[in-house]
Amino acid sequence: MSNFKRAFLFNGIGTKPEKLLRAMTPAMVEKYRSYQHDGFVRLGLSENISENASMDKIAAEWLSSLISDRVIFEYYIEKGIIPDIGMGHSSGIVSVSACFGSVSHEFAHEIIMMNRATMRSLEKSGEKQDMGTIIGLSIDDVNELIAENNFSTDDVIVGSANSRICTMISGKEETVEQLLLAAQEAGAIKVIPFRIGLAYHHPMIRKHSDEYVQFCGGGEYHDPKYPVLSIFDQRIMTTGADLMLENQINILNPIRWDIALKHLEEMGVTEFFDVSANGAVGKFSRINKRKGRIYTFDEV
Amino acid sequence: MREMTDAIRQEIQDMIFDYYADECEIDKDEITMESNPQEDLGSDSLMFVELIEMTAEKYDLDVKLQSIGKYMLKSPMNTMKDVVDMICKVYQYGNDIVNL
Repeated sequence: MSNFKRAFLFNGIGTKPEKLLRAMTPAMVEKYRSYQHDGFVRLGLSENISENASMDKIAAEWLSSLISDRVIFEYYIEKGIIPDIGMGHSSGIVSVSACFGSVSHEFAHEIIMMNRATMRSLEKSGEKQDMGTIIGLSIDDVNELIAENNFSTDDVIVGSANSRICTMISGKEETVEQLLLAAQEAGAIKVIPFRIGLAYHHPMIRKHSDEYVQFCGGGEYHDPKYPVLSIFDQRIMTTGADLMLENQINILNPIRWDIALKHLEEMGVTEFFDVSANGAVGKFSRINKRKGRIYTFDEV
Repeated sequence: MREMTDAIRQEIQDMIFDYYADECEIDKDEITMESNPQEDLGSDSLMFVELIEMTAEKYDLDVKLQSIGKYMLKSPMNTMKDVVDMICKVYQYGNDIVNL
């Protein structure tokens, strides 16, 4: 019998705070406001997100996703739903590290704030980067398009294979735009440019991420209360050192969320709990519906 | 090409409205043929993909998403009527929808 039946899935950044709040109950919103107040005051951010300066505003939005994850995570725990294992998509790794007790929530917030150092380095370099999502094409379809159009993988790659119908690309802004256009012409259901000026999960971000990576390695990590599955090599992580490394390599490497999810299914997981407030993980993830189900907080 | 009858069209429309009501957590009565799936109902493209797959399974259709994506370039979906028309065409033509 497998010891892994129930997995908690943590989302990365990308959802507007108002969308997260809309989904929450009044009690959850109150809790969220309290955590946001404490966190934002400590970091010198305005709780009115639009009042923050440009990079602070982006970081504040991203922090909101992290805080929202914490509220939803605690809701599940209060309901007696305890994870056997967890997994985080992109900055969801920071989130799962904090919720599973490997790092403090304060340190997790500081990790998110360190993205500003990467943004500053990029701004200084003048490099134009971006990311985007392609709905309706798989990683193989997109890799074929990259080859057919003679794009260099130095310029664009699949940054995350979320599922067979949802693929995220990352690279130079111009090439990302061209690949999105090619995908549309090839029959993608929808293409969405992120326009965030960063190529997370493409190695080209590496030269701008020294401060971020160094910071991730400088905090205090404990062994997580529950194991975490790596989205990079599908190993089961049980130590603080594992989580530190996962946080350090996170933004520099492409993600195989699809393979990691399949791995969880093969381990025997049948109940997946979406820790995002708006069900984002459940939307971009695909599991075998005959074998398992993804739950959102409002279903428990 | 499969034959489209009024009964099948109604069945498809009911299936689509039930699906959007359920996924978007709104009353089915609030959905009209003029509703905009994104702006009025809060749906997204991943939901639409799910709808296509649900339709394919229900009616045992062999249809590629790319065929539908190419058709959508010529015929964008702005209302629920567009969605119903699209799914009816998927039912009728399958992958040949791309040639319409």
